[in-house]
Amino acid sequence: MYREFVTVLRRELLKFVRVPIWIAAAFVIPVLYLVLFGQAFDLGALFPSGAGGDTYVSDALLGAPDYFSYFAVGMIAFVTLSMSLYAGTGVLFDRQLGTHQRILATPAPRSALFGGILTFRAFSAAWPAFLCLAVAVLLVHVPGMVGLSANAGIGAIGLAEILAAEALLALMFTALFLSFGYVLPSNEAYFGIVTILNLPILFTSNALFPQSTMPAWMQTVTAYNPVSLAVNVMRMNLFGTAAYYPYPADVYLLRLLRWAAALITIALVLSSRALRVP
Amino acid sequence: MTEAIRTEALGKIYPGGAVALADVNLSVRRGEIFGFLGPNGAGKTTTISILTTLLQPTAGTAAIDGIDVVEHPDRIRRKIGLVFQRSTADDTLTGRENLEIAAGLYGLAPAEARSRIRAILERLDLGEAADRLVRGYSGGMRRRLEIAAGIVHEPELLFLDEPTLGLDPQGRAQFWEYIRDLRARQSMTIFLTTHYLDEADQLSDRIAIIDGGRLLTAGTPAGLKDELGAGRVDLRARGGDGSVARVLRELPGVTAVERVGEDGAYRLTVSHLDQVVPAIVRSCDAAGIDLASISTRRPSLEEVFLTITGRQYDAGLEPERADRGGA
Repeated sequence: MYREFVTVLRRELLKFVRVPIWIAAAFVIPVLYLVLFGQAFDLGALFPSGAGGDTYVSDALLGAPDYFSYFAVGMIAFVTLSMSLYAGTGVLFDRQLGTHQRILATPAPRSALFGGILTFRAFSAAWPAFLCLAVAVLLVHVPGMVGLSANAGIGAIGLAEILAAEALLALMFTALFLSFGYVLPSNEAYFGIVTILNLPILFTSNALFPQSTMPAWMQTVTAYNPVSLAVNVMRMNLFGTAAYYPYPADVYLLRLLRWAAALITIALVLSSRALRVP
Repeated sequence: MTEAIRTEALGKIYPGGAVALADVNLSVRRGEIFGFLGPNGAGKTTTISILTTLLQPTAGTAAIDGIDVVEHPDRIRRKIGLVFQRSTADDTLTGRENLEIAAGLYGLAPAEARSRIRAILERLDLGEAADRLVRGYSGGMRRRLEIAAGIVHEPELLFLDEPTLGLDPQGRAQFWEYIRDLRARQSMTIFLTTHYLDEADQLSDRIAIIDGGRLLTAGTPAGLKDELGAGRVDLRARGGDGSVARVLRELPGVTAVERVGEDGAYRLTVSHLDQVVPAIVRSCDAAGIDLASISTRRPSLEEVFLTITGRQYDAGLEPERADRGGA
């Protein structure tokens, strides 16, 4: 089991590092997104200073120091979501080439096949986020730096909660879309589903826009969106603004855990059929 | 001794109701090369998919070395190797890395895998290219790498699904040299499907012909041709232009006489080659016809196929879809 798992992991890693553009993308995309979108769109600038405008913005952003910081955390979660949505592409191509069938004809445990890809893909989806957050936390201690501003008082528990939220977000979507790679009949079907789900998941979350500015029905959806849940945990810890949120971090983490359990269960049911687990 | 492969009344009906396989009884002996022939959609890939645990049959049983493929897929998977018609290697990995992955999926220890892989690469003339990316490999090299991946765990039984499809004649000849060499060294049983009848004819110890999901016949290539009995006789004779053709036509067992060219050459289609030749000689003697030369030709496997299925063999068509067992 262990040997086969490591083999699958190694195959994923080798395929990944042989395409330099992917490595570049993993590092550049989050930074690029942050710089381009965050700088271009400053929500704070829409409101006049004074006359209660500042307080309004601060409340809408749930205490985030500025819109860029607010947005940056949302973007980090979005990059994780986007990367996760492509988790099934490798399997999809393997099925077309016949590689998948050859692998299925080996005695490798099916759990090692699924688990190996899941581990690598979830890690590669969460990696850019970890990188950005690490940089943000480090920058706190560099005088004169402006950017994604983290709370200097962030502790080990706060960091652990951030990592847990990110990891759960990456795992649940990676598992789900990996299973889509096993069961969907064609590339078109797969990428169709990615296209259909990607932006709606983003726009019904509070990743980019404050929840309080949304219509009531959408606020309800947003409150349960797993991307919102992860973003809430990250923002309240990173900015030290837990007081602005109706629930403490562990409530959001528990909800994320429920989402992860549900989506991973669906993924296992779908893929175990395709993988013919006896 | 148990057979390498045995199927009893094996059948497969796909969910849509299409009958892919019906009542197939196969018996493959240990150590032989078994050729499995049939046109597109005949059920070849379905059969291989069931035998390699990639597809569940809907009727009958299939066993490898006496082990049921449905009940013990894991035990079967350790015994078999699979070489597909298309390249299934990862392009962006080297040949050696591809084989290391293949070995790892069989749970081989890295140290043992390394030495085995080194030996296999040498034997298949891939030693020099081993550390280059597969992307730069030629068609023949990819085929050899595919065999290497299929035998890295030293299977007792190797399945080759249209292994030489798309290779030029030289490439095919070379491919078979490697396979013969491997069999000589490791006493593997080889189950082969092919579109090329001549290939099956030359290589297989025994063959089976399948069409429309049903097994039509099985036996040695020579045996099948003998069973069919049909053949061709070419002869050259002198002595009265009209009478030669008339005498030949009247012989029992001669189904057609055709004059070829102007110098007394004739081509006969006969139903029982063995009995007809002495009769030709005797009749010509009796009729005062001077028989200058006579030669016979056994039927080709193509003719066997034509006779059994009632249609021409369509070797030039597209191969069956590679996406096996997806349903």
